[in-house]
Amino acid sequence: MRIVGIDVGSTTVKAVVTEEGEVLWRDYQRHNTRQAEKLHEFLGRMEAEAGLTPDEDLVFLTGSGAGLTAPMVGGKLIQEVVAVAAAVEKLHPDVRFVSEIGGEDMKTIFFTESGAGKTKQVYMQSACSGGTGTFIEKTARKLRIPAEELADMPYDGMSLHKVSSKCGIFAETDANTLLKGGVPVGEIIASLFEAVVYQNLATLTKGNTPQPEVLLLGGPNLFFRGLQQAWRHHLANLWEERGVTLPEGLTVADVIRVPEEALYYAALGCVEIGRGEAEGIGRYTGSGKLRWWIDEGQHEAKAKEGGKALARGADDIRRFEAEYRGSGAAGPATAKPAPKAAREPEPLFIGCDFGSTTAKAVVLSASGDMRFTTYVQSRGNPIEDAKSLFRDIHLSGVEDVAGLALTGYGKDLLKDILGADIGVVETVAHAKSALDIFPEADVICDVGGTDVKIMILRQGTVADFRLNSQCSSGNGAFLQGVAERYGIELEDYAAKAFEAKSMPSLAMGCGVFLQSDIVNQQRKGWSAEEIMASLAAVLPMNVWIYAGQLQNLRAAGRRFVLQGGTHRNMAVVKAQVDFIKAKVPEAEVIIHPHSGEAGAIGAALCAREAWDPDRPSRFAGFARIEALNYRSTTSEDTVCTWCAVNCKRAFIDVEVTGAEGRAWSKVPLEPGWERVISGNSCPKGLVEDANEMRVVKEEMEEQRRAYPNLGEVVRETAFRRAVVRG
Amino acid sequence: MSEADRAARAKLRVGIPKALNVWTTHQFWLGFFQSLGLSPRNVVFSSDTSDEQMREFGSGRGTVDCCYPVKCVSGHYGELIFGQKRKIDILFSPMIYSLASFLDGHAMDSLACPRVMAAPENIKAGFLREKDVFAENRIAHVAPLVTLAEPKLVPRQLFDALQGVVPGLGIEETARAVEEGYATLAAFNENLRARSREILEWCARERRPCVMVLARPYHMDPGIGHEIEADLQACGYPILWLQYFPTDPELLNWIFRADLAEGLIKHPFDIDDVWPSSYSANTNEILWGAKVAARVPWITCAIRLASYECGMDQPSFTPVQQIVERSGTLFFSFQELDSTKAAGSVKIRVETISYYLERNSPGIIEAKLRHMDPACPLLRRPVSADLPA
Repeated sequence: MRIVGIDVGSTTVKAVVTEEGEVLWRDYQRHNTRQAEKLHEFLGRMEAEAGLTPDEDLVFLTGSGAGLTAPMVGGKLIQEVVAVAAAVEKLHPDVRFVSEIGGEDMKTIFFTESGAGKTKQVYMQSACSGGTGTFIEKTARKLRIPAEELADMPYDGMSLHKVSSKCGIFAETDANTLLKGGVPVGEIIASLFEAVVYQNLATLTKGNTPQPEVLLLGGPNLFFRGLQQAWRHHLANLWEERGVTLPEGLTVADVIRVPEEALYYAALGCVEIGRGEAEGIGRYTGSGKLRWWIDEGQHEAKAKEGGKALARGADDIRRFEAEYRGSGAAGPATAKPAPKAAREPEPLFIGCDFGSTTAKAVVLSASGDMRFTTYVQSRGNPIEDAKSLFRDIHLSGVEDVAGLALTGYGKDLLKDILGADIGVVETVAHAKSALDIFPEADVICDVGGTDVKIMILRQGTVADFRLNSQCSSGNGAFLQGVAERYGIELEDYAAKAFEAKSMPSLAMGCGVFLQSDIVNQQRKGWSAEEIMASLAAVLPMNVWIYAGQLQNLRAAGRRFVLQGGTHRNMAVVKAQVDFIKAKVPEAEVIIHPHSGEAGAIGAALCAREAWDPDRPSRFAGFARIEALNYRSTTSEDTVCTWCAVNCKRAFIDVEVTGAEGRAWSKVPLEPGWERVISGNSCPKGLVEDANEMRVVKEEMEEQRRAYPNLGEVVRETAFRRAVVRG
Repeated sequence: MSEADRAARAKLRVGIPKALNVWTTHQFWLGFFQSLGLSPRNVVFSSDTSDEQMREFGSGRGTVDCCYPVKCVSGHYGELIFGQKRKIDILFSPMIYSLASFLDGHAMDSLACPRVMAAPENIKAGFLREKDVFAENRIAHVAPLVTLAEPKLVPRQLFDALQGVVPGLGIEETARAVEEGYATLAAFNENLRARSREILEWCARERRPCVMVLARPYHMDPGIGHEIEADLQACGYPILWLQYFPTDPELLNWIFRADLAEGLIKHPFDIDDVWPSSYSANTNEILWGAKVAARVPWITCAIRLASYECGMDQPSFTPVQQIVERSGTLFFSFQELDSTKAAGSVKIRVETISYYLERNSPGIIEAKLRHMDPACPLLRRPVSADLPA
């Protein structure tokens, strides 16, 4: 009688056929999210190549796909960790610690000698991509490293850099930043290995010290030489620090083993457990039922799951469109200036929003007419960006400017150079603009391409602000990516998604896993429209709950303003409106009429508010901005040294009357010049170096000396020795 | 005490984790140990909480999943055990069951959060589960349960815990040391209250705004509260912490005059009108602080700090917010503080707060002053010249 062990994992299927303890056949293959198909193929091959016989031989299954498939083939389901532990106990009685890293999960097992034998302590995590194989592979793919090369990349001897160990998407961003900063690919990969080992030790040891001997299992541990080196490095350090001694005559390399069959331990464990099962348990019933499931069953399941749709019938859509048609779908506002004759001569205010990827400007009249809008894709030189914006404004016929306000990332850099009357923090600008169109607004939800911002207003102030710029699960770029993959223009997204009569349920959360969920749903037969509908439907959950961490929408308020480029997609708007109204039935939801320009409009409104007709604007003037004289320096002295990324910054020095200059700088600047730093990848790089930090710190210290803080007094005095009285 | 005991005590080194309610009892312990004849140099605290501390000394020592302020104590333990140039003999980690509070006598009780109280037991386990790290390093882990709200019980609690650890310890000298501890802490608190009063007098005189922080004491730890209030301080606002608000009756009677007259409260320290289930010392004080922030005209903004998933803070979020906001005072809360500072969004929020503070403070001060008796005790004392005119 043969006993078969099969591990149906998240990325691969692994199987062994044994007879009398001898392995007759084994294989592993990636299934590309087709778990059932790959299993069916394996069973067929095992029948043909290893004599697997229905109603005679036994099958035991484990892994994330086993719960569904085991009953279809008469097999018995074995819990994964139990299976691995059984194989380890059989094959390696001296092992005290096991790490098994899979595609989308990770586990550790501690074996402790106790009176009656061995006790096992097991930890596992499968909710997040941090610390798993996907974490490494996803980034390696982005860096275009072929699989064979990745397997051979070392950890030992490489310089390491800070990479987020918690999330695959964070890590990818970090890797990109490192790459941009010129860090060699090899060092980035070594840093990823470091992050994976750190994450496993940090989350899956819970106070236990891994003791020798150690077994490393699973695909990533087997295939990535660098990952093995990282384990050896960290465990050796840990052992030295905690005084763990190795068995006589053995080295660290001897006691950290990666067995050749590292992939098959779960499958082998199934066999091991199967041998002890009662007669008749796990009797293989053939692959017919599985075939039926693949061909028909899963599609029936799809029909059962369906039924809900983004649009609940034609009436629902009609009502929705009547209310929201045209609001926000217009794309970037392209208000043409009215003919000169028709315009009242009114004071005009300019608001500019210098963001990290685009710069935008609007011209607003004193009575609130939007006279002109323009934008420019940032090209890395804020002076050139500004010149381009103001050239456009001037060409549109604007001559006299009553006030200029800046907002966004560039507001402090450019304030003096452009002669802005005020710099406005982005939250205030957004609130201003939302309150202008919706004076009672409680919540502003801005979903952009790469970030999600939620602002909660109370008492006319921005009382709370949630920013999520590090997790892709709630933003528009992901939606756009999927639409692109289906070859659908973003403008047609909504129409397509509304066509869907039903849609699958996607799980909220980690974008890495959402991607594989989509592939999975596609395979079940869901069409492009249906998947796009479901993606729009899951977005509000990601925005409010996952990214915004706002469980209780009702507490946030009743009147919602949606803005940001992603809300130009009416499928998203529909999902948002339905989601918000389900949570807050009396909610009013409106779309900002100039979705993408809200920040610039808010700035212009602030300029109008600050306007004093008796005091001239500080605005430098179109001619002065056009003629701005600057020189750009990029040299060894402009490289940022705040972290290992070492961004190659540019110092753009601009001539500004009355500017202080920077005598203390490595690239000294004479009075009458102002410096703008560009090419840095994080805000820290806006500070030139330790010299400037000292200047900034001194200013802050002075401020802090002038204005006391009782918390600081405690920090400085409470832990010093007490003066004994009397 | 024998000469030998005296000499032994002078050499004894005690390490105290600078965590949790040690942030409000620091000087008690310093006064206590010094009174017992320990050298002040030999009573050391761990450093402020930090990621580096946790990574270097605490990783892999976690046991029960808990809030970050409790979890990070593993790092403090590790640092005291492994990271001292001169080894300590005693790791003193009090399980503070109840706290002395200025609200004592006006609240139901003065208890510490049970998770905070039990933290030493929880954290200790991470250093015992495989081998006894304390024994290995010849360090006595002393974690007495102390009821600081009931001073009469404290000498026995500390004597039982330290007997045999502090050579020749007697119960009477322990009682004296406890008294010394309370006195030292009281002197420290009085000094800080006087500083707060100076700030308030300056604000009243100059009609300038200040900010009040409403948080648990350990949010003063840079690794827990991330010095968010210091960022506001750098924008030019003095910062008060509710723990050190002046308690002179004259000032408090002025602040709560209307409430007392209407019979809403029986005493300025009475919080029964807003928080009847007043069992937790830190929570009670936060609620009281909210009432003060709402009434004092120059406190134009209150900042609430709370750690992620704090079960003690959660029920008080809405009452505190509403007490402060209903008075027209600005209110901003940072409710999900964790191990890392979300520097980007904190920076934007601090700039936002600073914008509204600058714009709205004059109006808020004026509106709040209208409810107050013009005879303000803060304007009566001679001018102190510490703050910018």
